[in-house]
Amino acid sequence: MNRVSTPLIDALAQDLAPVRPIRLSHGVALVALAAIGTVVLVELIEGLWRGILDGAPSTEFFMTNGMLGLLGAASAYAVLRMATPHVGNSHEGARWSAGMLTLLPLTALVMLGFGGFAAALTQDMYGLGCFVAGSAFGLATAAALTLWLRRGAPVSLKAAGTYTGIAAGAIGSFAFGLACPVDDIGHLGIWHVAPVVLSGLVGRFAIPPLVRW
Amino acid sequence: MMADEASLAQMMTAAQNGDAAMYRALLAEVQLWLERYYRRRVPPSQLDDLVQDVLLAVHKKRATWDNRRAFYPWLAAIARYRWVDHLRKVYRSAEDELGDHDVAEDSEEEAVMARMSLERLFVHLPDKQAKAIELVKIEGLSIAEASQRTGQSESLVKVNIHRGLKKLSALVEKAE
Repeated sequence: MNRVSTPLIDALAQDLAPVRPIRLSHGVALVALAAIGTVVLVELIEGLWRGILDGAPSTEFFMTNGMLGLLGAASAYAVLRMATPHVGNSHEGARWSAGMLTLLPLTALVMLGFGGFAAALTQDMYGLGCFVAGSAFGLATAAALTLWLRRGAPVSLKAAGTYTGIAAGAIGSFAFGLACPVDDIGHLGIWHVAPVVLSGLVGRFAIPPLVRW
Repeated sequence: MMADEASLAQMMTAAQNGDAAMYRALLAEVQLWLERYYRRRVPPSQLDDLVQDVLLAVHKKRATWDNRRAFYPWLAAIARYRWVDHLRKVYRSAEDELGDHDVAEDSEEEAVMARMSLERLFVHLPDKQAKAIELVKIEGLSIAEASQRTGQSESLVKVNIHRGLKKLSALVEKAE
């Protein structure tokens, strides 16, 4: 297998320095640290809801935050894998988890009816605060994932941006959700899901220019 | 005969550890593979530029190959990514013609190559989008010529190219 070497190949070989391959486990550790840091920040700023351990919250509280946490994990994992390109990579787990989350606003709509849903949308005095806080607390995760993508070689930029946003919104909303004692489906299904939608949209447009290579 | 997956993976591992001789051999293999990979999908006059662009990308991003995964799918993902970028940027000049470049299909890597080939991406596009991209971006026809050839209006040709390229860039990692 004697191939012809070109000046470019010679130059690249001369420039070669040892590299440490990117490891998925390091990315997982980075995102886990960002998520734990976010929960700690929520505790410091808002204080976690102490009633959680006493079983005070409703079923919807546990379901919603559980789904947000799982969606955050699945989306973050998909983004971490996108940093190492591979024909055959698929991100079905994150896609199905995102689809699963739409059950929450749908449940709210079915349970409350159009009138009740509209009221939860327009008259919830804590809603906007949860929406803003959930979105803002996602920033640490977004930063960690963006850094990871910049180290890597993502080839599906829009998908990488969208899932980075979804992961950030889900983990941010999950973390803030642990401090929010409003646990009815109208509040949770709208205002705790909205940060995921917003962050996904922002990620789709804002992240690709930052990670293009 | 092209190097097999195991040999390339071994060379890449050595390259990540700083072995320049192995790296030179690896890049020569990669260059050959890319020339075959892009035939029919890139005009000969642009082939060298694109291959060199991918070699530079491989060099810059060599840390992103995980030695527990196969080498060819990693290389193919980068090659597809750069090709879609190339389609966006470059219009082929009218006098260029795609060569046939019929090389003997000579190795066990053929099945892998076929699975990761550029044609696999085109099957996911609606016919009108694929045709518009082929005529304008690959064969180098003007929008007006492509419009005449396909019976689509000029605006529709532009829209089909735009939508087709957008879709191609979303399919880079898709295997089939």
